[in-house]
Order: sequence, then structure tokens, then C-alpha cells
Amino acid sequence: MNWYRTITLAWRTLSRNRLRSFFMMLGVTIGIASLTAITSVGEATKRDTIAGFKRMIGTFDVINIQPGGGATRGMPSLATVEPVLKFGDAQAIADEATTVQRTAGVQFAFDIDVKHRDKTGSPAIFGVSADWMQIRGFNVSLGNILTEEDVRSLARVVIIGADVQAALFGDEDPIGKTLRIAEIPFQVTGVLESRGVGPGGSSMDDLLLIPVTTASRRLFNRDYLTSIAVQLKNPELADEAIQEITAILRDRHGIVPPAEDDFKISNPRAAMAQVTQVDTTLSKLLVGVVIIATLIGGTVIMSLMLIAVSERQREIGVRRAVGASRRDVMIQFLGEAVMISVFGGLIGIALGIITGVMVAIQQQLAPAILWPAVAGSVLLSVGVGLVFGLQPAWRAANIDPVEALRS
Amino acid sequence: MIKLSNIGRTYHRGDGTPVQALRDVSLDITQGEFVTIRGASGSGKSTLLNILGCLDTPTDGAYLLGGEDVSAYSDRQRSHVRNQRIGFVFQAFNLLPRTTALENVEIPAFYVNEAIDRNKALSLLKRVGLSERARHFTSELSGGEQQRVAIARALMNDPPLLLADEPTGNLDSDAGRSIMELLSELNSEGRTIVMVTHDAQVASYAQRELVIQDGAIVSDQQQSKPATAGSPD
Ligand SMILES: Nc1ncnc2c1ncn2[C@@H]1O[C@H](COP(=O)(O)OP(=O)(O)OP(=O)(O)O)[C@@H](O)[C@H]1O
Ligand SMILES: [Mg+2]
Repeated sequence: MNWYRTITLAWRTLSRNRLRSFFMMLGVTIGIASLTAITSVGEATKRDTIAGFKRMIGTFDVINIQPGGGATRGMPSLATVEPVLKFGDAQAIADEATTVQRTAGVQFAFDIDVKHRDKTGSPAIFGVSADWMQIRGFNVSLGNILTEEDVRSLARVVIIGADVQAALFGDEDPIGKTLRIAEIPFQVTGVLESRGVGPGGSSMDDLLLIPVTTASRRLFNRDYLTSIAVQLKNPELADEAIQEITAILRDRHGIVPPAEDDFKISNPRAAMAQVTQVDTTLSKLLVGVVIIATLIGGTVIMSLMLIAVSERQREIGVRRAVGASRRDVMIQFLGEAVMISVFGGLIGIALGIITGVMVAIQQQLAPAILWPAVAGSVLLSVGVGLVFGLQPAWRAANIDPVEALRS
Repeated sequence: MIKLSNIGRTYHRGDGTPVQALRDVSLDITQGEFVTIRGASGSGKSTLLNILGCLDTPTDGAYLLGGEDVSAYSDRQRSHVRNQRIGFVFQAFNLLPRTTALENVEIPAFYVNEAIDRNKALSLLKRVGLSERARHFTSELSGGEQQRVAIARALMNDPPLLLADEPTGNLDSDAGRSIMELLSELNSEGRTIVMVTHDAQVASYAQRELVIQDGAIVSDQQQSKPATAGSPD
């Protein structure tokens, strides 16, 4: 018996015993469907988390330096931060660290009134150097980004976030209009693309950007930074970069052992890894589902096949009489088990994908399909058919044809 | 073509007591013979036929089929012998359920490594007078028709030897007669036929009659007057 014949024979038998075939498939179908649904919802959730994380911190080739040792959390503003990170530090890192592409200094503050005519807001204020927008992946939807010239000339220009535009300008075109930040007039030269909500659920559009030089000299009158954004040449070398930067800053700040660093450096990859840790709970659940589904699906196939084998003794006897060897009979029944299991699996995959997509849409996530899990499901179905078909097939092959044909 | 030497077949009952279904059977059958086996119920007729058909293996003695000692063959070798050289016809027809007449006839070709010759199956059905019934399912056929499909199936791989275990046992006399006419026609074409029967009328189609009693052959006679079947139209 060749492959093609085995398949056509299995198909013929299964399609002429629809009800039995249906029940044989059921266990595998349910198992694989839940497996596929869980993995695709899990994948959708994970992608959503990563996307949120990326929106918040920019790309993974950026690391962030903040002043102060210890474990301060959140974003320190100019008012609270230790005055240790200087403009020169940002420049020195850019010049000396071999793993670093470029750096951008930031002065951050909040609780400052921003006015346009009679409207007032208090968005987060970022004084940034010209490269910062590119490093952090900020784009404008209207007007222009900050330029080197703006920074060099201490220009009183401002780029506003989408929330600021809505709050202070409404439907009015903001480009070229004047804003007052702490009563100092700035000209609006751009509007940022909306960045939606961050992982915490708060808006990321309630902010404005001004040249860091302008912020330092004209607005805050401070010569230190609240953070330095560092873009790496190679994101894989984050650990090396952190070592280099640490050495440079300790040297510049005159820190000698055993004194601790007076700054801290974030590693976005490490933080990312933590965020996606949720995965492990999900994978444990998944392993459980897979084991249970496999056992149930396989057992259903095995018991129904065993019944079928005893009901089909006469058929087995006839086939042996006309020339089927034990091996032929074995292959025939194994083929049926594998085919039914694979069909069950394929239907399960289809149902699982549909369920996964529906759940994702309902949870307002972008639907995702984890293709390796789909491929794994197909293999699993083949395996279930083979393993649980083995005993029935063995029994069928060893039926005594004389006994089976005795009327 | 067939040579049995001192064949014995001992079964063991559930409690371990041995049953000698065949004892010391020696027998020669030449190509083209039509042999019947008669005997009381339980005398060992089916056992002998199953051994001749390589479905069962003797516990003693040697079986030469066409000069080869098939009693020493492996399962696959014996399966190949059944497939190529032996056709079975059973009392209970033994067609597969939920399967058409044509599909039943094709089954032996299934176990040959060549493309299944559908035209051959169709012509065999025509030969047994059932070309109209090729696509009918087993359950839609009468007993006589089922037995004719079974004969067509036995002929699918063109075996030289046909073994029939009470082929007319489940049929009324008309249907039985037409089956016997078919078999003697096949015999007259040169096929060897060995047939178990209780029925003296049926046995009269053969040229040679074996009588078996308690697992041993007690009589082996050439029929004085072989009945020739009326030529079919
Ligand atoms: N599997 C078995 N286990 C034990 N004894 C068996 C087995 N098969 C057959 N026998 C015994 O062997 C003897 C011969 O059986 P066999 O079927 O050959 O008889 P038979 O002549 O074909 O009878 P019948 O005319 O009733 O079909 C019987 O006594 C039977 O009980
Ligand atoms: Mg019998």
C-alpha cells in the first residue's frame, strides 16, 4: 500500500462513517482550538505591551541617564533633581564613548502655566537639544521639527503636543501663533504627531518641546540637565555602553571608590524583559491546556478506534484474505487515526484563529496569530494520531483472519 | 500444484486442552482440478481450506504450493501468495459494508504495487452478470448478487486457485445453481477450485470428492460422472 492509497482509503472510510469521525475529531479540535486561541490572544497582548513600551521609551537603541544615585522612580523635574548632570557630560559621552552614536540633553519641568489668549494649560515642558526628537522618534504632524539653528540661537520657538493644540488652540491653526510659557512668549513652529496613551493609560500628548538652550538660559536659568538620552550605535551592545558611560561620568564627576555613582543609567531592554515577564504565567497555563487537550483528544480517538476495530473484524479478515499483510492493516488503521487527528487539528486551528481574532477585537487589541504555534498544532495533531492510533492499529493488525471470517 | 504432506493442525482450547482439527493429511491436487471437500460439521473442512489458502499455518507437516514450501513463509510472503495466487469465496459473501460492488472487486488490487485497473474490475462484474450493479452498495444487492460480486473480487488478481467454503450455503437453490455454473465455467478455463460443501447436489459439479472425518481424509474419489454445467448464454 502506498501513501496515496492509504490516504484515499482512510478518507473513504472516514467520510462514510461521518458521525463516528465527527466524535473522533472533537477532542483534538477543542484542544487545538483553545491552544490556538490562547496563543493568538497572548501574542496580541504581548505585541500591544511592547508597542506601548516602545511608544513610551522610543526605540531600543536608546538608553537614558538620570542624575542621582539610589532608586528614585518616575521622571524627576528640574525643581527636585540633583544638579549633577551637565551639558558638558552629554557632549563628553557623545565624543568619548565608542559605542555611542549621539546624545541629547533634556531639561524637564512641569506645573508651569502655558497660555494662549484666555486659555491656560500646564503641559510637561521639555527643553531638548536638536537631535532629541530623532533619538526619541518624535515627529511633527504640522510645521517643522527643532533645528540646530533653533538651539544655537536660543530661539523662542515651541513644538506642541496634540493635547496642547486641542486645549489652547481648538480648531485654530497654531503654526506661527504665540504661546506664553511662564509669561515668556514663544512662537509655535510645529505640532507633534499624536502618540496615544502609554502603558500606564495616561495621554502622552500633553507636552511641549523647546530648545534646551532657551530653556536653560531664558526660562529656568539652570545649567544642569534632568536627563541625557543616549543613542547607541548597536543596541546589542547596551551593556558595554553602560560601562563606558559610567566610567566617563564617574571620571568627570570626580567619583572614586567606594563612592557610589551620582547618576543612574536605564537599560530599556532589561525593563522590556520585565514587562513581558507576564508571559510565563500564560505559558504555564498553555502547557496545561496542551497536555490536557492532547490526552483527551488522543484518548477519544483511541477508544473510538478500538471500538471500530472490533466492529470491523470482518473487514480486516477480508482484507487479509485478499492479500493484506499485518503491516498493511496496521498502516490502514494508523492512517485513519492520523487523518482524523489532523483534520480535527486543522478545524481546531481555524476555530482557534477565529476565536482569537474575535477576543482581540473585543479587547481592542490588534489581532495576532502565532504561526509557530499553528505549525506546532499541526505537528501535535499528527503526533496524537500516531501515538493514540498505535494500540488500535496494532490490535487490528493482529486479529486472526480465520477467527475474523468465521461466520 | 498443491502438495500437502502429513499436515496437522492442533488448536488449544481456553483451558489448554488440545484439539486436533487436522491430523496427518496428505494430498495432491493438480492444476485444473475441481475438488470438493465433504464431512460432518467440525470435521476440519474449513481448517483444511484455510491452510490451503495460507490464512492459517499448519502445526505439522509441509505445504508445497507450486513447488514452494509456503508453510515456512513469513506473514508478508503469505499475504503476497494470497494476493496473487489465491481467490477466496465465503459462505457469508463477506463484502465490505458501505462499499460499492466495484470497490469490493478492486480490494485485491489495493495490495498490489500497480495502478488499480478499474476497467478490469468492471469487466469482471460484467462477466458475473452485474455490470448494472457496479455502483450499488453492498446492502442494495441480493444474496446471489453479493456472492457473484465476491467471485469477481476473487478473480481480480487472476489467481490460479479458487477456494470456496460453502459458497452456496446461504443461497436458495436457483441462486446456488447459477453460482455453481459460474464456478464450473471458471474451472473449465483452467482454474483449480477447492470447495467445501455439505450438499451432494453441489458436490456433483466437481470431478473429485474428498471426505474428511475427525480431521483425517477418509475417502478420495474421482467422480464417475462429472456433471457438466449447461453452457451459459
Ligand atoms: N480457534 C479454535 N480454537 C479451538 N478449536 C477450534 C478453533 N477453530 C476450530 N476449532 C475446532 O477444530 C475443529 C474443526 O473446525 P472447522 O471449522 O475446520 O470445522 P468444519 O468442518 O469447517 O465445520 P463446519 O461444517 O461446521 O463449518 C472443530 O472441532 C472446531 O471446534
Ligand atoms: Mg467450516
